[in-house]
This record gives sequence, C-alpha cells and structure tokens, in this order.
Amino acid sequence: MRALGTRLLAPAILVAVGLPFATLGVWSLAERWFFPDLWPQAWGLRAWRYVFATAGGQVAAALVQSVAVATATSLVSVVVALPAARALGLYDFRGKDTISVLLTLPVIVPPLSVAMGLHLWFIRLGLAETFVGVVAVHLTFCLPYAVFVLWGVFSNYNPDFESQARSLGASQLRVWRQVMLPMVMPGLIVAGLFAFLLSWSQYLSTLIIGGGRLTTLPVLLFALMGSGDRPVAAAVSIVFVLPAFVALLFSARHLGGQSLAGVR
Amino acid sequence: MVHHRRCQCRCFSGLLAAALLLIMVPASPAAEPPWEAVLQQARGQTVNWFMWGGSPAVNAYVNGYVAARVKELYGIDLQQGPVKDIAEVVGKLVIEKQAGKHTGGHVDLMWINGENFRTCKKNGLLFGPFAERLPNQRYVDWGRPSVYNDFGEPVEGLESPWGSAQVVMIYDQARISDPPRSVGALLEWIRRHPGRFAYPAPPDFTGSVFVRHVFYHLSEDIGRWQGSFRRSELVATAERTYQVLRELAPHLWRGGSTYPESPVRMNTLFADGEIDFAFSYHQAEASRQILDGLFPETVRTYVFDEGTIANTHFVAIPFNAADSAGAMVVANFLLSPEAQLKKADPDVWGDFPAIDPGRLPPEWQARFRDLPRGPATLSDAELQSHQLPEPPSEILIHLEKGWEQHVLKER
Repeated sequence: MRALGTRLLAPAILVAVGLPFATLGVWSLAERWFFPDLWPQAWGLRAWRYVFATAGGQVAAALVQSVAVATATSLVSVVVALPAARALGLYDFRGKDTISVLLTLPVIVPPLSVAMGLHLWFIRLGLAETFVGVVAVHLTFCLPYAVFVLWGVFSNYNPDFESQARSLGASQLRVWRQVMLPMVMPGLIVAGLFAFLLSWSQYLSTLIIGGGRLTTLPVLLFALMGSGDRPVAAAVSIVFVLPAFVALLFSARHLGGQSLAGVR
Repeated sequence: MVHHRRCQCRCFSGLLAAALLLIMVPASPAAEPPWEAVLQQARGQTVNWFMWGGSPAVNAYVNGYVAARVKELYGIDLQQGPVKDIAEVVGKLVIEKQAGKHTGGHVDLMWINGENFRTCKKNGLLFGPFAERLPNQRYVDWGRPSVYNDFGEPVEGLESPWGSAQVVMIYDQARISDPPRSVGALLEWIRRHPGRFAYPAPPDFTGSVFVRHVFYHLSEDIGRWQGSFRRSELVATAERTYQVLRELAPHLWRGGSTYPESPVRMNTLFADGEIDFAFSYHQAEASRQILDGLFPETVRTYVFDEGTIANTHFVAIPFNAADSAGAMVVANFLLSPEAQLKKADPDVWGDFPAIDPGRLPPEWQARFRDLPRGPATLSDAELQSHQLPEPPSEILIHLEKGWEQHVLKER
C-alpha cells in the first residue's frame, strides 16, 4: 500500500504542477479555441511570432533587464542578510524583538504604499528611474525574506565547529570559507532563490520606481494581460516562467538538505 | 454656480475655435520657434511614448511601423512604454510635480483622453498648448464637438487627436438573425431572453457607455445635455435610468448577481457562447477579433437606428518631458495621411481616422475609400451618420457613481 502511494506521488505532483503549464502551452499555440471544444479548432504560431518577431526586441530587452535586476537583488540580499541573520540566530541582545518586527514591516505593509512612499524620496535622491533605485526598492521586499530564511538556519547552527577549527589553527577567513559557508550553503541558496523569485515577479514597485525606464518582463506581461488575447498572454507567460523555473532547477539539489532544519 | 461654470466652458471653446482659425489661416505664431526649428531639435532625440499596452495590434503598429518611419523621416528613436492603465503614468507625473522635477522627465508622450486628460489639465501636468503648431493639424476638423471637447473638457491645444472611437453592437449572425436595432428594442430583447446579455460593471469604460445609452434612450432630447441643462433634469433622468437597469438586472447573465469586470471578459463570454451580444468602443474590434481567430467568422456589428456614442482619443506631452520637440514631431507624424491610413487598415489595427479624409488631396481620399474594411466593420457613411456625442464628464461621473449606489448595491 505504502509502496503504491510512494510510486503514485511523483506522477501526482507532476500532474498537479504540470497541468496549468500544459494549458499555457496549448493556449500559446491555439489560433482559434472556442467553448465548448476541449481542443483548439485551429493551431498556429501567431502568438509566438508576436513574442519573437513583432515584440522580439522589447521582450529580449525586458528579459535581460529582469535577469539583471533579480540577480543583483538576490546577491545583495544574501550578502546583507548573512551577517544580520547570524547575529539574530546566535546572539541575544536588547531590541531583538523590535528588530524582528521592523523586519516584517515591508512584508506586512502593502507594496503599493511602500513604493509610492519611497517614490518621492527616490526622486529627491536621484534614485528614481535608475537600476540601483529599482534594486533598492526590490530589496525592501526581498531582504526580510532572506534574513528570515537564514535566521532559521543560524538558530540551528552550532558555532562550536568554528571554535574547533580555530583551535586547530585556522584563520578567521578560513573558518568562514571552510566551516561556516559549507554548513549554511543550502540555506544561503534558498534565501537567494527566494529573493530572486520575489524580485522576478515584482510589477508595481518596478513600474513606480523604474518609471517605465526599466521595463522588466512583468511590466510587459501585465500590460498584455489586459488584452484578453489569451494566446499572446500565454506565450509571454511561458517566457516569464521559464527563467524562474531554470533558477529553481539550478538550486533544486540544494533544497531539502539536512542543514535546512530551520527553514521549515 | 454650476450653471455659471458651464457657461464659461462654452465661452472657452468658442474662443478656442476662433483662436485656431486665426492661427491656421495666416500660420504665423509669434514667439514660438518655427516648425523647421522643432524638426531640427527633434533629430536624434529619443521619444518615450507611454500607452495602454494591452493590444498586440496597437503594439505592433507603434513598435513596427511608427518607430521605423519616424526614425527614417526625422531621425527620432521611438520607445514604447506599455502600461496596464495610463492613470499609473498620470499618478507618477503628479508625484514628480510635487517633488519639483520640472525638467528631464522620462515620459515624452502619452496616449490619453477623458478623465485622465481632465486630471492632467486640472493639475497643470501638460506641455503646451502645442496642437495648433503641428502642420498636419490642417487635416483635422476642429469644428466637431468630439474633437474640441474631450468629454466636455475643452482641449485647448493641450492634446493632439490620434483616432476616433464609436460604440458598435457585436452579434453572431449564426445565432441571432435579426438583432434589436434600438436601445428600446434591445431592452425588450433582454427581458425576453433571460441570461443572454451582460454589460461590464461601470466604472469600466465600456460598461459605463452602455448606461449612457440607456440614459440617452430615456431622455426626450439628448441635445440638451450638451448645452445648459438643469441639475434637476439630470437627477430625474438618471433616477429613471437606474430604475430601468434595476428592473433589467434579473434578466441579465447570472441573474445580474455579478457583472463582467471588463469588456475583455464580456468578449470572452460572447465568444464562448454564454451571452449573445458584446459591444465595443472600437468600430473594427469585431473584424480584428475575427482576424485573430478570437471570434467566429459569422460575427457582425451594427449601430442603433438612433445612433451610438462616439469620441476621440488623443496624445499629450507631459509638462516635464525631456524630449518635447521629438514628441511634437511624432504627434504630427501620427496625423499624417500616411500614418492615419495605415492605422485604419483592419489588418494593422483598424482604428478610425482622427483626420477628416474630406480635407485630403483626392488621391488620398481614394485610398481611404478603398481600404479593406474587414468582414464585420460598417461603412464610414453608416457609422458617421449614426454618431451621438459624449455627455460632459459631470454627467458621466454622476451616472457611474449612481449606478454603483442604485443598481449594484440595491440588487
């Protein structure tokens, strides 16, 4: 019984996760598809021609822009979150509760208020409509998540390993590189992935702070969604989902590792 | 008070028409640089044009044809900024104004009309007046009320017309052989065919124009809404409109318990055969949808015998646009016979001209006449002889708010 259940698990997950994407794929290739037919009445490449030929330049530029912004956001998140989470996970100090509340604020407050509130300041600071500005506004949403993921990792982290390495004569740098980093690496990758995916799907904050100068994929996609042209929306959605999926696959082997106890 | 303000508006539009005539005949604006200088300044500029990006056909026209032509003719790089709603850009301009960013703005051109234009004009967010400086303005018939007034708001040269829109009813002749040809007949048809009609919930624009048609249907004389009317008349007719729509609700799709949230959703319901009519602000939308395979080939359009509501859509330049010269040149190109003809081609977009083809040289007139119209699009003559003006925004907003209070909430 149990064996059967285990054997069915993988196909079940595949169907549950894969079916919506399969529908997207069919829609992107449908030329005509009216209710109540289960299958498109006519097939064609109109949607894909639009994505690659007509809007090809725009889509390619947006793709590059999205990858650049999400990668930068995720790297900065991890680098900033690592020492912060280590302090929060390993030490007790005054004001720790206050800090954890402050950290959740950007997650609790609606993104629209955060972005609109920051917009005025970003204009004055010369950050509006710049790459740095968009990464900065994404950080307000991504950084808390990265800190929380790594905080969990560090609450289960045993610093005695570091003391052992030091007593064996390792330098501080070597301790970080060969003891701490390998131990928290799975958590680090998950935190980076979270930050990447969150930044990848930002629409409103990119639009407000980027002011249209930074056109990322969600900005293009959301503009097209309203058209009701399902084949084109489906094709753009696939282009939007694929890189995120690749990022997920890339880090998949690190998911579920035993040092992730704190992430649950 | 209200009466007084309206009176001023009409004086303004009168003045505007007079001013336009003066400028157009001798064509010698004193302080402004001549058009040649504008062209020179525009060369090499990058114009960022923000617009609703929901239509692949419009996107292809702008990114493909317009961008290539303005590069070729004027050395301008045109960049489209697609947005979900141009109000997002208007909101951004309001904040930029507050932050004191008066120059170097990223947005050079916006596709706009109606309420968004009103907001921009009231907050001083627009560059200009510039419309009368564009040479191709001579092809525009500024005497038409839908051109010199944008939903009751005098344009005053702060935006340049791009295209025109008129409501058409959409049906599938494979399903309905003899569609109801007036608003009254349509209301009767809905009562006899429960669940087969829907209109998007106002303040959606297309939904709100349906309410305005019913409002016109219940008005004895719709001409009075353009001139001076008493508020009590508006309130009384609006009340009757809500009453009719309340009584209609149980006969609508899903018994009126819910409304489609957008015309796109209404089109989908229509294509899926859940309802028997759709309607659109675009005369050629049905043909476009047939070409794209989204509607069956038996779909046709018609206008009511008493006419349907029509308006104009415009482009405007923000107060802080970095490349306003380039933006003016693009706005002027958009009005050229060449660009207007291309835009009117149903294979391209099928949007109706903002210029009056009658003002063009005979060879261009012939080209407009010979345009293929697509299977579902009515002739220019049929459309233009059945046009009703938009009421002023005051009435539009009154009806939208009232609908929410008296039709949606009291269902």
